[in-house]
Parts: sequence; C-alpha cells; structure tokens
Amino acid sequence: MINFDMNLLTAHLSQSISVFAPEIALLVTFIVALFMDVVFKKTRNASGYTVCVGLVVTGILLCTQCGVKDNIFVSMLAVDPFALFFKFLILISSLVVCLMSFFSDELNKDDRKMGEYYSLIAGMTFGMFLLTGATNMIMIYLAIEMMSLTSYVLAGFTKEIKRASEASLKYVIYGSISSGIMVYGMSIMFGASGTMNLVELAGLISAGKVAMMPMIVASLMIIAGFGYKISAVPFHFWTPDIYEGAPVTISAFLAVASKTAGFAGFIRFAQMILTNDPFLDWKIVLAVLAVLTMCIGNLSAIWQNNAKRLMAYSAIAHAGYVLMGMVVMDEVGISSIMIYLFMYAFMTLGAFAVIMLIANKIGSEDLDDYNGIGYKMPVLGAFMVIFLFSLAGCPPTAGFVGKLYIFTALFESGSQWAWLAVIGILNSVVSFYYYAKIMRNMYLRGDANDTVERYSFSSASIALVAIITVPVVLFGIYFGPIVEWANNSVALFFN
Amino acid sequence: MGLESIVFYLFAVIVVASALVVVLSKKIMYAAFSLLFTLFGIAGMYAMLMADFIAVAQIMIYVGGILVLIVFGVMLTTKITGVDVKTGPTGKLNYIAGGLLAVMVAGSLAWLYTSNSWISAPVNETNTSINAVGNLLLTEYLLAFEVGSVLLLIALIGAALIARRK
Amino acid sequence: MYDLVKFVPLLPLLGFLFLGLLGNKIKNEKIIGSIGCGTVGIAFVLLFSMFWNFIQAPPESAVIVPIYNWITIDDFNIQIAYQVDQLSLLFGMIITGVGFLIHVYSIGYMHGDRSFFRFFSYLNLFIFMMLNLVLANNFLVTFLGWEGVGLCSYLLIGFWYDKKFQGTRLTWTGDAANKAFITNRVGDYGFLIGMFLVFITFGTLEYTSVNQAASNAYMSYYGSGIMTAITIMFFLGCTGKSAQLPLAIWLPDAMAGPTSVSALIHAATMVTSGIFLIARNSVLFALAPDTMTVVLVVGIITAFTAASVGLVQNDLKKVLAYSTVSQLGFMFAALGAGAFTAGVFHVMTHAFFKGLLFLAAGAIIHGMHDEQNIKKMGGLKSYMPKTYFTFLIATFAISGIPFFSGFFSKDEILWSVYANNGILPWAILAISALFTAFYMFRLLYLVFFGKERFNCEHGKPHEAPATMTIPLIILAFLSAFGGFLGIPDVLGSWASESPNLIHNYLSPIFADANRVLHSHAGHSSHSSILELGLMLVSVLLAVFGIYKAKQYYSDPAWTSPRKLVRNYNGIYRMLLSKYKLDEFYFAVVVDTLLNFSKNFLWKIFDVKGIDGVVNGTAKGTLAFADVARKIQSGIVQNYALLMTAGIVAILCIYIFI
Repeated sequence: MINFDMNLLTAHLSQSISVFAPEIALLVTFIVALFMDVVFKKTRNASGYTVCVGLVVTGILLCTQCGVKDNIFVSMLAVDPFALFFKFLILISSLVVCLMSFFSDELNKDDRKMGEYYSLIAGMTFGMFLLTGATNMIMIYLAIEMMSLTSYVLAGFTKEIKRASEASLKYVIYGSISSGIMVYGMSIMFGASGTMNLVELAGLISAGKVAMMPMIVASLMIIAGFGYKISAVPFHFWTPDIYEGAPVTISAFLAVASKTAGFAGFIRFAQMILTNDPFLDWKIVLAVLAVLTMCIGNLSAIWQNNAKRLMAYSAIAHAGYVLMGMVVMDEVGISSIMIYLFMYAFMTLGAFAVIMLIANKIGSEDLDDYNGIGYKMPVLGAFMVIFLFSLAGCPPTAGFVGKLYIFTALFESGSQWAWLAVIGILNSVVSFYYYAKIMRNMYLRGDANDTVERYSFSSASIALVAIITVPVVLFGIYFGPIVEWANNSVALFFN
Repeated sequence: MGLESIVFYLFAVIVVASALVVVLSKKIMYAAFSLLFTLFGIAGMYAMLMADFIAVAQIMIYVGGILVLIVFGVMLTTKITGVDVKTGPTGKLNYIAGGLLAVMVAGSLAWLYTSNSWISAPVNETNTSINAVGNLLLTEYLLAFEVGSVLLLIALIGAALIARRK
Repeated sequence: MYDLVKFVPLLPLLGFLFLGLLGNKIKNEKIIGSIGCGTVGIAFVLLFSMFWNFIQAPPESAVIVPIYNWITIDDFNIQIAYQVDQLSLLFGMIITGVGFLIHVYSIGYMHGDRSFFRFFSYLNLFIFMMLNLVLANNFLVTFLGWEGVGLCSYLLIGFWYDKKFQGTRLTWTGDAANKAFITNRVGDYGFLIGMFLVFITFGTLEYTSVNQAASNAYMSYYGSGIMTAITIMFFLGCTGKSAQLPLAIWLPDAMAGPTSVSALIHAATMVTSGIFLIARNSVLFALAPDTMTVVLVVGIITAFTAASVGLVQNDLKKVLAYSTVSQLGFMFAALGAGAFTAGVFHVMTHAFFKGLLFLAAGAIIHGMHDEQNIKKMGGLKSYMPKTYFTFLIATFAISGIPFFSGFFSKDEILWSVYANNGILPWAILAISALFTAFYMFRLLYLVFFGKERFNCEHGKPHEAPATMTIPLIILAFLSAFGGFLGIPDVLGSWASESPNLIHNYLSPIFADANRVLHSHAGHSSHSSILELGLMLVSVLLAVFGIYKAKQYYSDPAWTSPRKLVRNYNGIYRMLLSKYKLDEFYFAVVVDTLLNFSKNFLWKIFDVKGIDGVVNGTAKGTLAFADVARKIQSGIVQNYALLMTAGIVAILCIYIFI
C-alpha cells in the first residue's frame, strides 16, 4: 500500500511522467488529429499525416527508452525492454495501417471525413501501449476496454455498408461479454487475494495465501478475456465475421497490432501469475487451446472463399502457433514468441495491403474473382506470393524463421511437448493448402494467355507494399539481430 | 436473520427480478423501466457495503443520467416505442443448452462462494468514504483515473461518429 | 585488411539489385554495362590487393571474416562468414578477373539485345553466388552459392527463352535450361546428403573445424565407411555441377545460352566448382582412398569420351563444350591421383584458354551473323585477324604446345597420374590429349582456313568491336604466359630451388591431405629423365594430332576424313550421336519414370489409392466444416453461449480429470 508521503509521491509521479513520454505523445497525437480535421476542412488526410508524424515522434521517444526498466505510477505500469519490443512492433503496425489507409478506396469514398478514423487509430495504439506494460488488473482491464471501444467504432467505420455495421454491432456484443467475463474473473481474484496489483498478487499466490478454487476459476476467466483479444478457440467466434465486415485496413490492424498487444498482456499476466500458481495446470490448458486454435483455424480456412475471411482464420491459426510458444514460457519460449510475432506482423500486413489494393480494383474480396489476377498485376502478384509463402512458413522467408524458433523452443523444452510441435508442423502443412489456393486462383485460373490489360496502381502504393516485402525477405535470411533483440528483451524481463 | 440480512435479500430480490424483466420483456419500454429498479437495487447494495460514494454515484450517473437518456432515446425514436423486440426462432436445443449452462455456471459460482474463505476489508469506521476515494484516485490510481477519462473521450467520439449521418 | 572481403560479394549483389530493379528505367547500354562491369572489376581489385597482402605475409591459418550469425539455436550455430586463404583467393581472382573480362566482352556481344539490363543483372547475380560458393567458410553457405549458381545458370541458358534450339528431345532454349537444372538437382541431393553426413559425423559444418577434426583423427577415419560415403556423395554433387559422367549430358545443351554465358559459367567458373569442393575438402577425400579411385576413373573416362565425341561435332560451340567436359575430366583425374595442386592449376589455365576460346567463338558467331556450323565457315582469317590470332594462341594452349599455359598444367596432370597410378591411366589421358589437339586444330582449319563456304546474304563476316577484342587479347596474353606460374621442377630447377610458384602458394592448403596420402602410400620417387621422356611423348602426340588435322582439313575436298567416315561408319555414327547417352537417359530414366508415374503412380496409386484416402479425408473434413459452419452461424447469442460453454468445459475437464 502506498505511503502517503506527498513529497515522495510527487517525486515518483514526476519520474513516472518522464518515462511515460511516448504514451503522452500518442495522446497528444490523438487529440491534435481530432482537431486537424476541423482546422483543415479541405484536405482530407490532414489528420492522417498528423498521426503518422505523431507515431514517428513516439518512435523516437521510444528509442530513448532502450534498456530502461522501471515501474511507474505506483506499480500500475511496467516500463521494460519486453514492453518496448512490443511497443515498437505495435507502432510499426499502426504506422503501416495509417499509410495503407491513404490508399483505401473503400475508406476514402464520397469525401468522407477521416479525422476520427486516424485519431482513433492513435487512441487504440495508446491502449495497446498500456496493455504491453500493465501490471495491475485495473490497467489491464482499462487497456483492453480502450482497444475494444476503438475497434468497435473502427470496424463499423464504413457504416453505410450493411455488413460493416452488422460486424460492428456483433463485435460490441461479443466484446462486452468477453470483457464482462474477464472483469468478473478479476473481481474473484481480488476477492480471494485482496489486491489488484500483479506483483503483490504473485507474492501472495506463491506464499500460498490464496484459496485454490477462486484462483482456478478466476485464472480461466481472465484467460478467456485474453483469449478473446488474441482470438484463440473457443473465444474466436467474432474474428471471421468482424474481419469480413470491417474495412481491410482495420482487419489488418486487428490481426496484427491488437493481437500482438493481447499477447504482450497475456504473456506478462501468465508469467507473473500463472507460473506462480500451484493449482492450475495452465500448461495443459494453454496446450489444449493451442491445438484447438490451430486445428479449427486451419481446417476452417480451407473452405473459405472470401480473402478477408480466409485471412481471419489464418490469423486464428497463427495465434495457435504462438500459443504453443506460451506453453513453454521460459526464456526460449517467450523470445520465440516475440520473433514469431515480429515476422508475423509484416507478412500479414503485406497480405492485407495487397488484398486491399485488389479490392480497390475489382471491388471484391471473393477468391473466385481473383482468377488470373496475377497476370494483371505482375509486381503486386509477386509480392503477394512472397507474403503467402511466408505465411505458410516456407524458407527462406520470415515466416519460416518464426515457425522454426517456435518449434525449436518446444523441442528444446524436453520431450513432453514434442507431440504439440508435431501437431503444429502438421497444421502448417495444412495451411499451405489454402495459401496455395489463393496463388492458384491468381495464376492458374482464368485466361492467362490472352493479352490481359494490366491494372495500374499508384507507384506510392506499390512502394508501400515493396517496403513491407523487404523485412519479409530480409528477416528470412538475416534474422540474427531480431533474435538477439528478442533474447535480450526477454533476459531483462526475467531478471 | 437480522435486519441487515432482511434488507440485503430485499435488494437482492429486486435486482434479480427486475433484471429478469429487462432480459425477458418484449416491450422495450418495460425493459427500460425495469432497468431502473435493477440499478436502484445495486445502489442499495453499495450503501449496505458502506460504499456511500459509489452508491450515490450509481444513483446520480446510472439512474439520473444514463437511464434517463435511454428512456428519452426510446421515446424520441417513436418507431420503436410500441414495437416488440424481435428475436430469432429459438430452438429447443438452444433452450436446453442455455439452461443447462446457466445452471452449471450458477451452481459452480454458488459453490465457489460458499466453499472458500474470502478476504474481507476492515469495517469502515469513518462515516464517509469520499475522502479515501478521492485520495486514492489522485495518488495510487492516478493513471487509472486519467486513462479512464481518455476511455470516456473515446467512447464519446465513437458514439458521435456512429450517430452522425455521414 | 581482410575485412574487405565483405565487400567482394556485396558489390555484385548491389549491382544485381540495382540493375534488376532499375535497369529497365536506364535505357543507356553504356551505363548499364559499366555498372555491371564496374562491380566485378572493383571486386577483383579488392581480391587482388588482399592476395598481394597475403603473399607478402601469409597468415598462420585461414582468416575467417564473420559477417553475421545466421542461425543460432542453442549450441547449433551457423555463421555467414568468409574464409580468406590461398584457395579462396585464387578462385575468387579467377572468377572476378575472368568474369570482369567477360562482362566487358558482353557489352559488345549483347549490344542491342532487348533485355540488356536483365542480362547484366543475372551476370552480377551469378558472380555474387559464385563468390559465396568459393569464399564460404562452411558447407551451408557454399551450398547456397551452389544452388544460386545453378539458378543463374538456368536463367542464363534460357535467356533467349523464345528461341528455338536443336537437341535430343529439346526444342526451345528453355528446354535446355530445364535439362541443365534437373540434371544438376540430382547432384545437389548428393551434396545435401554429404552435408548432413558431415554434420552428423563432425557436429559442425565449418571447413576449418571439419578438416582439423578429420586430420587430427586420420588414423581412425582413414578408409572408413563414413568417409567414403561423405566423399562419394560430394563427388556426386561434383559430377552434376562439373558435368562429369554420368551427369555430363547437360553441358553441351547448355550452349543454348548466349556465348558469353558459356564462356563465364560453362567454361571458366561454375563448372569448376566441383574441383573447388574437392580441393576445399582435400583431407576428407584423402581419407577415402576408394572415392579417390572413383574420382580418378570417372575423370579419365569422361576426359576420353568427351574428347572423342568432340572429334566429329560440327557445331562450333558444341565442340568447345565437349572439350570443356573433357578438360574437366583431366582436372578430376588429377584430383583423383592426389595431385590437388595440378587440378587447381589446370582450373586456372583452363579458365584463361577456354574462356578465350568461347569468347573468340562468340566473336566468330557474331561476325558470321549467328552461324554456328563450322562446315559453313572457312577462310575467316582475313576477315577477323584479331580473333584468329587469339584463337590460335588458345588452341596452342589447350593442345599442350610447350610453354603455352596448357602445356604446364596438363603435363603436370599427366605426370602425377603416371607417378601415382601407373601407365594405363596415363595412356588414356595422353590419347585424350591427342584427340584434343586434333579437334582443336580441325576447328581452326575449318573456321579460319580453306575456302569460304558461307554465303554472304547477311553481308560479309566482320571483325568484332573493341569491347570484344580487347578482352580477347588480354586473355590471349594470359593463355600464352599464365603457365609460367607452375613450371615443373624438372624444367625449372636450374633457375631456382622450387620454381613451381603455384605449388609453393597452395602447399599449405593441401599439406594435411598430402600428409594423409603419403603416410598411407609410400612415396615413390621417379627419375627426372622419365618425367622428361613422358613429357616429350605427350608433346609428340599433340604435334601428331595437329599434323593429322592439318593434313585432313587443309585439303579442301576433305578426302581423307570422308574416307575415314566411310570406312568406320559405325564408330562415326556413335561419336556423332554422343554414344547415344542422351537417348539412353531418355529411354531408361525419363521414359521409365514417365511411364511409371503415368501407369502406376497416376492411374493406380493416385486414382485408386491416394484419391480414395483424400476423398475420404475430404468427406470427413467437409463434415467437420459443416459443423464448423453451423457453429459460425453469425448469431451473436450463440457465440456467447459457446464461449461460456468453452470456459465451463475447460473448468470441468480440469476439475474432473
């Protein structure tokens, strides 16, 4: 409990604020972007540019936090290299999503006002930053709510499209239930222990001062809440509907940034609470979740005919692979997750970007409309193939590296998880089928021999996709630094 | 059974019964008005827990603000006042599954609450908790407090965005 | 100083990326050409300066320059690192030096081609891959380069992918590219298996560690099964990449590519990577005497067969291609005899004279407006004097005329084969050398002398531009005098104690291997009189070949060759059809495989077996998907129900199990 010495407290708070600079920058961006739309009525993208600048500034401020390890605002928030890794990843995703949004026809139709869109992206990024470092259950809840609220609105941003508003409404209901379950679990946890602070809670649990049943029930409920954010089976039901209905950019954002932040929060919670929990055999729980998530994600994806829906199931399956890494939960396991999520971010963003650009041209995300499209857009088609290969985990792409480290972590942790790794490998074989289906439609279906007229894309949009391609290829070959970065971040996290 | 218990069960019955009406009623106005009783009942529970600030806040914000807004909303959009809430056809299977699940959840929660020891806060000696709440909000929970306000701002923007015609 | 080696492969890589991405925006051939040549040229200068430094003060052991840690999983660590030592520097300089000249030549040769930039970007990529292959400090990086050069070879053979090409069951240049690629894949599996075996045996893939470990424990490894297995597998890889029997069939068809590609890839550099691999792992091969015998025998047979086929071919480039296969056979024979230095030395001189021959052939084809049939040439000497002159020097060199470069290297091979393996291998190789001299001079006479057998419908033959002739002249200089780096002791002992510079230079590399070889085979000494005598015999044989070629083809009616063809028609047919090797492969391997896959794999195994299983699985999955679809109903209430049910289910499972 806090010592109410005002001088000490003031010093602590001002120290906290200095470490809180990146988040403050995001908040300022959020508010300024809101007003940019009012000030510059003529230029549609004023707030978009503001948010991009704001994100870059945040990135610069983040760079000053290398190696900082602190606990701020009276143990509300941890600032450590582990959080920093995820913050960088989230920041990159947000920036890419903002840039993607500039090229989306679906969003920029009919001189729609885009101010709220971009500022809500900044707001959501703020929420995700909080989740990466939250060490208090109140903060976890607030951060998740902030992410959820913004994503409800963003998913239904194109509200004149029926499926978008439907998706948004479903998302609200489903999300409320999930966060209700989570907050209920937290209240049980609080009732059983008397504290919301994860550090104190961990101490109480390892000292055996918390009763068994409340711990188990509460842990499961909180796992359910995180499971919803990372779309793990059986908490995944919202994912396909929402991804299909939301604008492509937002689907990408949810698939990458939101999931990454969810994993960051989940890992921190699991590492502090679950590993100290003598009652719940959480490894088995997570292993079961991982198997269910991989299998259902991959098997359902096979039959999808809508690119966004397919990507939704693919995102579910990828969450399953990452959950396998969580089963291990030692330094190797967590660093393998970080590597995986890092690689996953780029290839997924890239695939969504190409899907968006295709949708701009053909006005559809139906895979049957993709027939022979590879010949109409040779450059983007080639990039798409790279992303799909990477998602399927073929060498020498980034996706392969991610999977390699996850599976290695499982095998390294002893033979008891070898079966899980085998299921994972079988699943990645299955996944190749539906990624190949997209490629097959793009290249092997339709009239390839006729002189097809090519789609013209703005060179800026192609440049964006090309820039996303660079890490997918580069980190497939030269992944040493990422691995080292992840290892260092984890090492500091455990000490 | 002391007076305290009698009052508690009274509030409990009010809360549960009116909540059931909220869920089951097909008339949207009935649902809105039953919600009033639910919220009142919960405020009473807070008061019994000596959480006077929360109890007052509950009445002022939920009953005085949110519920009034809901009722106004229902009344102003005349089209939905008299209309029944539509639900899809519910199969027998759903009833059975839902009922079973509800019973299981309720049962396990009841068992959970009765079979374990829970941490109880020390009995509040002072008359009001406002001081403590204010102090905590601006010291220990400063960040949560501020983040909560940002959350509300986002909710506001989101609501405006959804409501705006274009 | 040696850190500079990082930039050596980097430059061609940058060139490749730049030209590949932006090349079509640059319309100016001069700019594209100078970028393409510049990167390789600078790489050569860097390597040469390192080489200069190296010979001034040779380091104790190989210098390892790490680039980065590629894969680190616990104690399994693969580094991308380059190894600077005598061998890698020599190969690197051959690749970049000869490569640079061929790049310059290509500016003239490819002038006006619609994919000029693409050509140069592929060439730069090839140089990058090849440098990775030879500079690598471990098997894996070499393997990457190995696969990479295969890819580049594929891309460049099929460079004019819409051009017709004549070959056994091949109609397009693309088919030739496929043939090369597929044949190479067979060898690549050998390399892969060899690499796995090395890792299992030694626990590392680094050359220095592997060689160290092998030579430290050579008593236990010598002649062991695992060493034989490893080396045989690697040698299988070599037969693919270096076109030895039984995988030699792709190289003659690889001539479908542009001639400068044939010069660079299929004569001077890529095809010698097999020799590099064996030289790099000389200790492992020395420990496997059975494999050494195999290498020797394969080398000798290849040398002889290819040389005999070369006697009767009429396509200018085909003759040179068979000649390359034959010369590669010489190199392998040297390696198999344990004369590693001689093999490497021949790689160098061969790069000079065979590169030159191909480039000159390119100039001739260029001047003759894409005519390749030597029967339709003749009398070109007066039209293309520079080309003639350089071609003549290269022909002298390859035929082993004394004091031209080929003489020294070939003679060293012949002598070491005799000294280590006796008279019979020597005799076969000597006859191959006789064949070589004969077909090369046949080529020379048919192309440059005699009456003009071409029609001038495209205009008169003309001399190539300066960008093409200058590289020819430089290579001619090297072909003429490059051999003096390796003067045999028997000829140069009057001048200095160890006149063989290349021997002195490479001896540290092969010291371990030689120690192993000598400890098991007694070091027999032969008199220098005998060596001089054999040298004289081989020179006389070459001169005899030249004399016969002159006698046969100076006669404009070709009376005696025609008589020979009539009298020995069977042999002639067999040689002309390349011992029916292609047909054999098609009949035995390809068609069997096709029939097998069509009649068994497809019609029985696939349709009846797999499809049954797959359809069954598909039905099962479909049923599952149906359930999944019902679950994913789109109704939120159901989702909420299922989610809660999920939690309760986990709880129940946990509590009750």
